[in-house]
Order: sequence, then structure tokens, then C-alpha cells
Amino acid sequence: MKCRKCKALAAVALPSHNTAFCPDCYPVFVRSQVERAIHRHKMIAPDDRVLVAVSGGKDSLALTLLLHELGHDVHGLHVDLDIPGSSTDARAACEGFFAKLGLPLAVVELRREGLAIPLVKSRIKRPICSVCGKLKRHYFNKFALENGFSVLATGHNLDDEVSRLFANTVRWDASYLSDQGPVLPAADGFARKVKPMYRLTEFEIANFSFLRGIDHVIAGCPYSGRASFPVYKNLWSNLEERMHGAKVQFYENFLRDGRPVFAAWAEHREDPLSPCTVCGYPTSAEVCGVCRIRTMVAAESDTPGT
Amino acid sequence: MIHVRLEPQGRELRLPKACTALKLLRELGLGVNSALVIRDGELLTPDRRLNIGDEIVVRTVASRG
Repeated sequence: MKCRKCKALAAVALPSHNTAFCPDCYPVFVRSQVERAIHRHKMIAPDDRVLVAVSGGKDSLALTLLLHELGHDVHGLHVDLDIPGSSTDARAACEGFFAKLGLPLAVVELRREGLAIPLVKSRIKRPICSVCGKLKRHYFNKFALENGFSVLATGHNLDDEVSRLFANTVRWDASYLSDQGPVLPAADGFARKVKPMYRLTEFEIANFSFLRGIDHVIAGCPYSGRASFPVYKNLWSNLEERMHGAKVQFYENFLRDGRPVFAAWAEHREDPLSPCTVCGYPTSAEVCGVCRIRTMVAAESDTPGT
Repeated sequence: MIHVRLEPQGRELRLPKACTALKLLRELGLGVNSALVIRDGELLTPDRRLNIGDEIVVRTVASRG
């Protein structure tokens, strides 16, 4: 296979784009996809301070590199989950990468918050992936607001977005379908959230990370074995093998035709948000989900014999 | 023999004869967009030929949390 641009020997074949690129031209293609996403959805203005949520995986580190190279004012935040055999490597990957680029990185340690994931997992019966996601989202948002960041960027890719959209569609969860997209505007108590990698698949980002020498963690979270998202990702991976371009078509057409319908529906059914009576962050209940988790963990700790 | 290491699983296997990267992925039950095929620090497209004596890394790309 030859590179579409320079006709050199290709390193990456992209059936969904019916093309291939050499190691030099491929990163240019990836960068153009991110630039297009930022431009099309007006994700980041030149004067924005951008907080990138980094896990140590390929997606968030690649996003950091791309935003930095595009000239944005990039800072990182890593939430250390304290998971044995996983979190130390993830944190080291983030710290090493940010040090190499000379960019600032902050770390929130859930252990210091009394919410180390193994402890939470042992005390709460709900699926740990959803609890962990809730905690991470809470601390990313809180840090962005408290430290004056105008944009919170995450490394969600096309596969993440398609899996999530599909899961929401399987349940016909109109509330989630009404606001799923690559941009979530700022609201009272919520930072503006953007997903500049949403046009790129995991495969495309993995190739970019390899070619740009990004030293990221490869092993998955040891707790993710029973998560539902890999099921949807596999399903879509099989579909994409047979129907090149199915993922991007499903997602982009939803943004164009589906989301506006659900958004209009949601306007009439919006549950009003009010400040959590414990921490002050917005919630549709009296006490927010994170504070309820904190209370449950503490209650279990106080129970004799636990 | 072609020596193949699967990441992140760490599993290793050997193939007795030359084939293409695509054939290798098919034998592993992987789609062409499911994994990187790496030889000597170089990415291989599915049409590239693998030869006896090659050391190949197949790295699946799906993130798991």
C-alpha cells in the first residue's frame, strides 16, 4: 500500500476513509481531524485555558500533545484512583509525559478524599465502573471550576461516543440522548466540556500514539472486566469491518438529525438542578451522587466488624 | 517460525510459515482495525508480508477503562 499524499510505503491503512498514509503524513491527517472538530463545533477559543483530563492512556495523552501543538494553553489533571497494579503506572505515564512536554499537571488523589476505588468497590454494591466514572467527572469538573479553566477537554474517541450513543439508544434514554455530543456548554456549576478527538477511532489514535512515540499505559483497568462498554465496542467493531464508515455515519447523523429532536423534548421535561446541600455542586436530588457515595463509604466504615 | 507477542495480554505464539499481516490478524480472530501489527518498531498495513524469523507485536487497541 502507498501513502495517499506522498506515495511512500504506507504504515497505516484506513478502510473507513478508503486510504492509507506513511509515518510522516499520518500525523498530519490526525491533526486535521482534531482541527476540524474544534473548528466545526467552536470547541476552543484562542484565549481559553484548557484543562485536559488525562488517564495515562493513548487517547488523553495524544489529545494533550495535539492541543499543545495547535498552540492552546494546556494544563492536565490526573485523578489517581489508587487501584493496585494499575494506578501507579497510569500516574507515572501522565507525569512522565507532561514533564517531557514541559506542561503543568495536577493530580487529585482519591485516597486523600477517602474514596480510593478499591475501598469504594468493597463498600458499594453498584457496578464500580459507573461509580468510578461519576467520581472522575466530579473531580475534573470541580478542579476546572475552582482553578479558572474555561474548557475541560477529554480524550473520548469515536468508539467511545458510538458505544455510549448506542447504549443510550438501546435503552431509548431520551434524557441522555438530548445532550450527547462533542460539546457540552458551560452551565451553572458545570465547566464547558469538549471532545476534540470524537472524529477519530481508537485504531486511528493508537497508530498516531505509536508513530509519535507517546509512552502510554497499554494494560486495561483490572476492574473493567464486567463493564458493558467493551460489548458495544466489539459489536460496532464487527459492524465496521463489514460496513466501512458505519460508526462515523451513525454518530454524525445522530448529531445532525437525532439530537435536536431529543434536545427539544428535554426542554419541556428538564429536571431543575439545585446545589447539593452537602458540597454545593449541582444535582437533581437534594444530595449529589458523589456525596451519597462518600456517605455510604463512611457508613460502612463505621459499621462494627467492617 | 514467526514469533508473535500479543499485547496487552502478554500471550506469545509461533507461526510455522510466512503469511501477511491480514492473515495473522484473521488467525487471531481480530479485525484489521482492532490491532496494530508492529515489526522492528515499524507499523505494518494488512497487505505487508511476514517472513520466517520475524518478531511481531500485535497490540489490540480497545481501551478498557
